[in-house]
Amino acid sequence: MAAVQVGSRPTLSPISGRPNSRPGISPIGSICGWLLAVATLALITGGPGVAGAAKPEGQLTWAVHISLAPTWFDPAEHPGIITPYMVLYALHDAIAKDMPGKTMAPSLAESWTASEDGLTYEFVLRKGAKFHNGEPVTAEDVKYSYERYRGVAAKTLKDHVAAVETPDPQRVRFKLKQAWPDFLTFYASATGAGWIVPKKYVEQVGEEGFKKAPIGAGPYKFVSFTPGQELVLEAFEEYWRKTPSVKRLVFRVIPDEATRLAALKRGEVDIAYSIRGELAEELQRTRGLSLMPVVIQASFWLYFPDQWDPKSPWHDQRVRLAADLAIDHKTINQALTLGHSRLTNSIIPDIFDFYWQPPAPAYDPAKAKQLLAEAGYPKGFDAGEYYCDVSYANLAEATLNNLQAVGIRAKLRPLERAAFFKGYAEKSFKNIIQGASGAFGNAATRIESFVAKGGAYVYGSYPDLDALFQQQGTQLDAKQREATLHKIQQIVHDRTIYAPLWQLAFLNGAGPRVGESGLGLIGGHAYSAPYEDVTLASK
Amino acid sequence: MTGYIARRIGYSLVSLFLLSLTIFLFVRLTGDPTTLLVEPGASQADVDAVRERFGLDRPLWVQYASFMASLAQGDFGQSFYYRTPVLELYLSRLPNSLLLALAAMGFSLLIGIPSGILAAVRVGGFWDRTGKVFSLLGLSLPSFWVGLVLILFFSVYLEWLPSSGSGTALHLIMPAFALGWYFAAAHMRLTRSSMLEVLGSEYIKLARLKGLPESLVIAKHAFKNALIPVLTLAGINLVIMINVAVVVETVFAWPGIGRLLYEGVTFRDFPVVQAVVLLCGAMIVVVNLLIDILYAVIDPRIRLER
Repeated sequence: MAAVQVGSRPTLSPISGRPNSRPGISPIGSICGWLLAVATLALITGGPGVAGAAKPEGQLTWAVHISLAPTWFDPAEHPGIITPYMVLYALHDAIAKDMPGKTMAPSLAESWTASEDGLTYEFVLRKGAKFHNGEPVTAEDVKYSYERYRGVAAKTLKDHVAAVETPDPQRVRFKLKQAWPDFLTFYASATGAGWIVPKKYVEQVGEEGFKKAPIGAGPYKFVSFTPGQELVLEAFEEYWRKTPSVKRLVFRVIPDEATRLAALKRGEVDIAYSIRGELAEELQRTRGLSLMPVVIQASFWLYFPDQWDPKSPWHDQRVRLAADLAIDHKTINQALTLGHSRLTNSIIPDIFDFYWQPPAPAYDPAKAKQLLAEAGYPKGFDAGEYYCDVSYANLAEATLNNLQAVGIRAKLRPLERAAFFKGYAEKSFKNIIQGASGAFGNAATRIESFVAKGGAYVYGSYPDLDALFQQQGTQLDAKQREATLHKIQQIVHDRTIYAPLWQLAFLNGAGPRVGESGLGLIGGHAYSAPYEDVTLASK
Repeated sequence: MTGYIARRIGYSLVSLFLLSLTIFLFVRLTGDPTTLLVEPGASQADVDAVRERFGLDRPLWVQYASFMASLAQGDFGQSFYYRTPVLELYLSRLPNSLLLALAAMGFSLLIGIPSGILAAVRVGGFWDRTGKVFSLLGLSLPSFWVGLVLILFFSVYLEWLPSSGSGTALHLIMPAFALGWYFAAAHMRLTRSSMLEVLGSEYIKLARLKGLPESLVIAKHAFKNALIPVLTLAGINLVIMINVAVVVETVFAWPGIGRLLYEGVTFRDFPVVQAVVLLCGAMIVVVNLLIDILYAVIDPRIRLER
């Protein structure tokens, strides 16, 4: 182990075995050779694992845009929003989780199988995985974590699961009441139920004690937390996947965007989350700093809630299509997120399972005007109100300008976030709604909330779509289910039920001390992760 | 006197009761916190579970009765966002807010009072004109802008001070200045007008006629009396600085009560907003009560009033 410590260069990735040195500089050549040899040795001696890994060194500091909550230290409290993953990926580990290049990658479970009838799922746990207190991760911990889970979709999960069995310390068996094709999505992706906590320790310190001094099986150990100020973590050298490269991680809460940028410029922090608009441009211009855009699983769209009212102009599909064609997605993207948001033309994030890729969005104002004329509105029409969450009023203003340019005249009604989502969910809006969602799940869960009859944000539905949605819920064959879900998405696109806007890019900044920021390694993930892959820059 | 104090305490309790009712209702008019506690697109079952967990599914009057019953036992409830007792959160932030408020108050008094006296002594002179500009800027420049300019100049450009956070004396300088400037301007204006009023009074004329040196007239006779309204205002301002330095604490990432309030409002964390507003209100009520009692001690006409 000690042989890998080469000066202060924590740049070797034991998994990839890729030395982070530059060729052509002769004095370093011998070191490179050393590193390469050590990397090869690391691969030969087991690849993933701690054997032969370099000692973690140095510190990286994040400027976080939102106050860290102690509930994020406990996967049982998972609220179904993106932010807790900022901490979960460091402190804890899951049965399976999204990893670079793979969704639901085996983590604490090295494999799993599902019975043919879809009623039993069996997970085989990874040998050698440990909690920060040195205790091994066992089947009892997995069962306990599931039973203790009380966060988002806890009821949905527990309504479907009949029993959890632990035939031996390395195996866990979930028995379902009836076949449920989305079991893995809910257990291992959309909730915190598959993130494992140490049973003995939680029982010993109690719920509050666990939040104050959490122990997990993740790559970083808890050191301290000062509410409203910072969270400090330290590398867990016995992490099963690899020894983290950076010794200490500090997450400092800086709520103001301009202050975050100032702290990054001054070198007080190394990575600053959420730097938008003009500040992002300034960041891009600043020498030594890098703009790090990450496209997250948050899709934005226009919804036409009156399309089921025969008296409304929006009932005519040509009008909805005209609105869709009027939007200059590329220009808006360039202006607001420096071109980094993704124009998927779908309300479903492209990283979700069962995603169907629609044709690229088209910008054709002439055709939009023609469609409006054909629909009986040659001079356009007064479209009433355009509702949006005030946090994204800039997107709404740009889109509204595009609509007005073809004759769809609407009045912007930006509402404070809570009021907006309350009105949206209570179906009290009319005309145009600029909606968005960053909820976890797959194409089916998004369709359930936004397309199918009875969904939380569904103002009306189409019987054929509802029938298809019911059908996919019983299909155990993944291919068949995928075909049905693709068909639903295609119909949503063809009928212009929505006019998708973009999949949002979360803009961040990184300073010169950062080697690998971890940003964008995991598709759709907003923050740095996996933390064991994060490195300092070579000196 | 006892009757007077009892009456004042009664009024104070009524004020606090009305405040509790007002903040309880107003904070609920601002929207449903469950929409912020779960991701849009979450199922109705999840939304309902969150509502049930925080007791938001109960009728409003039941929620209020439960809130008041807990309050009577000194329990301000649990934060929706932090899931920890609100009083614990408040008390953990209080030392930071006290430190910032005392530093800002020291700065504001140090600048505001001498410049107010100088302006009053030489009306229309250089110090008076400079003071007017100072107070105009202090009262009209938004503190977030002042804060950002300070960060850009002293932190990014000169690299003298840390841009944000807390922990050392250097961290305190910019937020204390940004917060104190507004109050320095207010204290300066009040000192000036109070001094002008006192300087025009009969006993000051008498002091001058007696041939006392002007410095003694100003320092001993005028200043002492002019200071009373300034200190009364400073007392109330200190409470405001402790509890509602929202903008300055947010810009400088200062972990105080103002930022807690900001977080409470942002996340619709009703218990946090209620607690901060009520505790701030309680502080103001207590300060006013003490002032009322002191006035009554000084002036017998007040305590004899009905």
